[in-house]
Amino acid sequence: MSVVDPITASVIQHRLVAISEEMGEAMLRTSYSQILNSSRDFSTAICGDGGRLVAQAEHIPVHVGALPWAVKAVVEFFGEDIHPGDVFLLNDPYHGGSHLPDLTAFVPVFANEKLVFWTVNRAHHSDIGGATYGAYNAAATEIWQEGLRVPPLRLYARGELREDLMQMLVVNVRHPRDFQGDLAAQIGSVRLGERRLETLIEEFGADIVVEAVDFILDAAESQARDVITTWADGVYEGEALLDDDGRGNQDIAIRAKVTIQGSDLEIDLSATDDQVTSFINSSHANMQSAVAMALAFLFDPETPKNEGSLRPVKVIARQGSLVWANEGAPVTLSTSHSAQEVIEAIVKALAPACPDRAMAGWGRRFRIAIKGEDPRNGKPFIWHMFHARPGAGASPGGDGWHGSGEWHSTGGLKFGSVEIAEQRFPLFFQRHEYRPDSGGDGRFTGGCGVDLELHVETETVCQTNTAGDGARHGACGLLGGADGAPHRYLMRAPGRRAKVLPTKLEGIEVLPGTIFEVHSAGGGGWGPPQERDPDARTHDRLNGYVSRRAAKDV
Amino acid sequence: MYRIGIDVGGTFTDLVAIDDNGTVTLGKVPSTPEDQSIGVMHGLAQVAASLELELGPFLANTDRIVHGTTVATNALLERKGAKVGLLTTEGHRDVLEMREGLKPERYNLRLARPEALVPRHLCLGVRERIRADGTIAQPLDEASLNKAIRVLRREKVTSVAICYLHAYRDGRHEQATRDILAKALPDVHVCLSSEVLPQIKEYERVSTTVVNAYVAPILSRYLSRLEQALAASGYDGPVLIMLSHGGIAPIAEAIRMAAGTVLSGPAGGVSGARHAAGLAGIDDLIPFDMGGTSSDISLIVDGQAALANDRRIANERIALPSLDIVTLGAGGGSIARAVRGGLLQVGPESAGAVPGPACYGNGGVEATVTDASVVLGYLDPENFLGGRTQLDGVAAAVALDRLGDDLGIDGVAAAEGVHRVVNTQMAEGVRLATVRRGVDPRRFALLAFGGAAGLHATDLARQLNLNRVVVPRIASVLSAWGMLATELRLEVTRTHIGDTSDLDIAAINQLYREMEAEGRNRLSNWFDGDIHTARSADMRYGEQIFEIDVPLDEVNFEAPDLLEQIKAAFERRHETLYAYSLKDQDPVLINARIATIGALPALPEEPLMAAGADTPPLGQRRIYLGQWLEAPVYDFDRLSAGQQITGPALVVSETTNVLLREGDRATTTPHGWLDIQISA
Repeated sequence: MSVVDPITASVIQHRLVAISEEMGEAMLRTSYSQILNSSRDFSTAICGDGGRLVAQAEHIPVHVGALPWAVKAVVEFFGEDIHPGDVFLLNDPYHGGSHLPDLTAFVPVFANEKLVFWTVNRAHHSDIGGATYGAYNAAATEIWQEGLRVPPLRLYARGELREDLMQMLVVNVRHPRDFQGDLAAQIGSVRLGERRLETLIEEFGADIVVEAVDFILDAAESQARDVITTWADGVYEGEALLDDDGRGNQDIAIRAKVTIQGSDLEIDLSATDDQVTSFINSSHANMQSAVAMALAFLFDPETPKNEGSLRPVKVIARQGSLVWANEGAPVTLSTSHSAQEVIEAIVKALAPACPDRAMAGWGRRFRIAIKGEDPRNGKPFIWHMFHARPGAGASPGGDGWHGSGEWHSTGGLKFGSVEIAEQRFPLFFQRHEYRPDSGGDGRFTGGCGVDLELHVETETVCQTNTAGDGARHGACGLLGGADGAPHRYLMRAPGRRAKVLPTKLEGIEVLPGTIFEVHSAGGGGWGPPQERDPDARTHDRLNGYVSRRAAKDV
Repeated sequence: MYRIGIDVGGTFTDLVAIDDNGTVTLGKVPSTPEDQSIGVMHGLAQVAASLELELGPFLANTDRIVHGTTVATNALLERKGAKVGLLTTEGHRDVLEMREGLKPERYNLRLARPEALVPRHLCLGVRERIRADGTIAQPLDEASLNKAIRVLRREKVTSVAICYLHAYRDGRHEQATRDILAKALPDVHVCLSSEVLPQIKEYERVSTTVVNAYVAPILSRYLSRLEQALAASGYDGPVLIMLSHGGIAPIAEAIRMAAGTVLSGPAGGVSGARHAAGLAGIDDLIPFDMGGTSSDISLIVDGQAALANDRRIANERIALPSLDIVTLGAGGGSIARAVRGGLLQVGPESAGAVPGPACYGNGGVEATVTDASVVLGYLDPENFLGGRTQLDGVAAAVALDRLGDDLGIDGVAAAEGVHRVVNTQMAEGVRLATVRRGVDPRRFALLAFGGAAGLHATDLARQLNLNRVVVPRIASVLSAWGMLATELRLEVTRTHIGDTSDLDIAAINQLYREMEAEGRNRLSNWFDGDIHTARSADMRYGEQIFEIDVPLDEVNFEAPDLLEQIKAAFERRHETLYAYSLKDQDPVLINARIATIGALPALPEEPLMAAGADTPPLGQRRIYLGQWLEAPVYDFDRLSAGQQITGPALVVSETTNVLLREGDRATTTPHGWLDIQISA
């Protein structure tokens, strides 16, 4: 029986959450590259001894539940050889990482010479070496073509930077200055967390703090069990299909068999298709993280994202399958796809057990990047498309949000200003408006995707590459709701016919004056369309979310 | 002559009149939300009566009225603004609703989608296009504009926002649109993005302009009514409106930039805190205003209030410079519950005014922070709000006992827990807010005002390692008072993008000179005193997305090394905020800014109190501070200057209750304020 009182535990819980947020705030304010300070593709967390997740700041959902696996990998490798002042680093998907661009930094926190906490920061770097810029290499057939693998390593030994090791990392990436700036921000963030935790331990004493953590995790477990108990017992199955592997193989299936028994949940992904030769494979840690993300969405938003709330969940998967690839397979796209399809399969399976919680599918990610030379100043440029966000899925809470993004980011990715983009890149945005009729119909409709007409105003040939999914399968409708419209991206070179862009292709030539016509996917609908409120239908038509023609067909 | 500050809040309208000797007269009357000017006139009559004057002679003897109004704020919060139509560049009509792709609450996928301030069928594209370099890609097409105007007429919109792409570079298409609109729909209020916020980033500009169009008509109606009522009662001086950025401006300017009045009320509080800091000789201060449903904090560094331009109010983005006020979801009415398998959570849900805390006896049953204060003896149920209201101590005890049952502890322990948890939450909120501003909170003093602040301030300070808390005697009307101590202020912004090393020195100088001329010109229309200006710039490194505000006051614009100086100023600011800078990188200048400031005569100082014999306590009260003990209770309004009180003790007045914990030492200042040293 714990001696810590509930008030002290509550105070310590607030402090722990605030510390992880302060680590995130420091990161946000000090990181250098746009993907971190604008898109916030990073997360900060506090893990306990052995890696159990204690508190995590609210950033990118795809990182939830992933960090404990990274801590475990460090502990497994270094054992007792962990000391105050050490900073550890890793990114290898086969050693607790998710994909290579995500670099994780850790600091151990000691009390009375005993390791009690880890402060952790995972951040997506804009480049990590490898065959192509930014690691999204649709042509990769093995992980070594995707970038530099960093197994658990000690970057600082008892406070001393290992300069040679840093040098090794820095020469292997394309933008060493950005890389070092972002890595410095990560280390600053975990060090800040370390200082704050030391103060907390000083104030309350290590024993009380550790007991409070047990209390907090037990409380989260009981809260999660309270939720699961309300779900009907049974065995449920769900399947989600990826478009293809980019190598001609279509409809790659992720299958979830979910067993609810009382307050216990077993999620069995073993029937998933075998791994493939392209970057849609997932590492074990990334699959675990996708499962945690699905449950975070299905539980109450207030349920703490910590080890306790995941205790009722047992995950089974098969090594060699798409969601647990054997070492060496490429995996870069997996934090989007197949992670989103893992979520989709689980949510679909559980929808009959908890219809009042399950939400329809959010649009899939389909990224393009254009690389060329800006005729205004002769300088090279690389533009990553964050515009034309896909639609969000509908839910029992109401219609999906228009243009609010994918399941792995849930409205957390900000697209930049069109005015700034036109000012900085030789691009002209002729049109950037909602795509009518793209949201899946239902009692609640999916959010619209976005139409983007983009003119490339270079004088020389550019390159583009694609990485994504969802041009064949739309975001899934749920409980009678219709699927959202899939992505449709076209490229129209001057004087030529428009070409449909595939979702996974490297090195596409873009002639000057080319126009991209991007029609991004809509979100899935929830519930039978015949149950939709007629006033809502009038509203959809009046505001052009649904065109007159499409409205007639209902 | 008198100067009058008027702060209209949700419940009360506070008034402060100051005469030439600095003597302060207070007024407080219920607000009249249906027409705030009625409450204002009642309040003026009350103050006049206190001075034994008729309203007419009182107003005839007044040379300045400064007014903080929540008309625009309420219109936005309650969605009661104008019916707005939005004209945009064709192909870009969804900028407002897209919100840059962002949706709040990452893990709440069942969150309902909000309605945009302008429904999509009133967002109309007009064929026209200016390019990023300012050239015209498509001249304004009148046929397409006329088509849009037909929709606006049919839908009977009362206000129109015109926001074209790249209009910050060239406002001519917007101006031409306004001219045509003025002929077609002469009664409609029109706002141009190139006038409201002429700076790059379309979402911020569109959203700000739309908010402006949404609140301007209702603000305009209210202020004309007030002006007429004042004139009819004999007032012929200026009425100056408190703006979100902490400055004041006359009515016409406030209406023109109506979106800049949404923080009018809280801005008065910050101005009051800043003035108080000046009187107390404190440079670095955290104003802490704890009310019923929430608490506002802000920062005063080196005597200056921090500004931000990334505000959202009622979920709408307003990118005008505004005081950096952070609202925390914890107030006296915040509800305490056992959640998550036995942890205590306080807020963000609040019992509000109805039903209110359990002790109000209006049907509230859940335990709130105020109920905890009653159970712990910090509030006297017999003597709340100067005895005008009685609290139900039994109901508070029942609510806390129930909470205790859920937590497995007794009611008093639960009540103490509520205080510990809510204070922890607020302390962490303050810490995060200071981290965001790049400052260490420990060197700050806490200035407590607002109904509930005094009971929490000392513990909050201790948790933050602050050693000083100041409670002004007029804490409850600090906003109205602060409004009288502000300056006229007008902001001018221009987008001028360029890498620092590529900027043209002559062009930069000309840009700032033009902006200064514009600011002085506009300000001199309604002010004939001394005007000074302050230059600053929004800058960032190329790949970053957030600009930082870089003061350029210390830069010599005539010097040949101007660009190096600007770069160095940016680096200093970046280091302060983020602890590093990158010397080998060229920052980008995005927006040039000018603040045009017209200083008003200083507020006469209030006569100081003479030191006297210590005033004895009113009595003793049993309070709980880890154990039950008898603590003396002092009357805040009757303390002598220099009087020292050592905690545990309570200092109470009609609207303010201050808790001194064990070892805290309060000294009464010559202004009658409490200056508290916090025990370590």
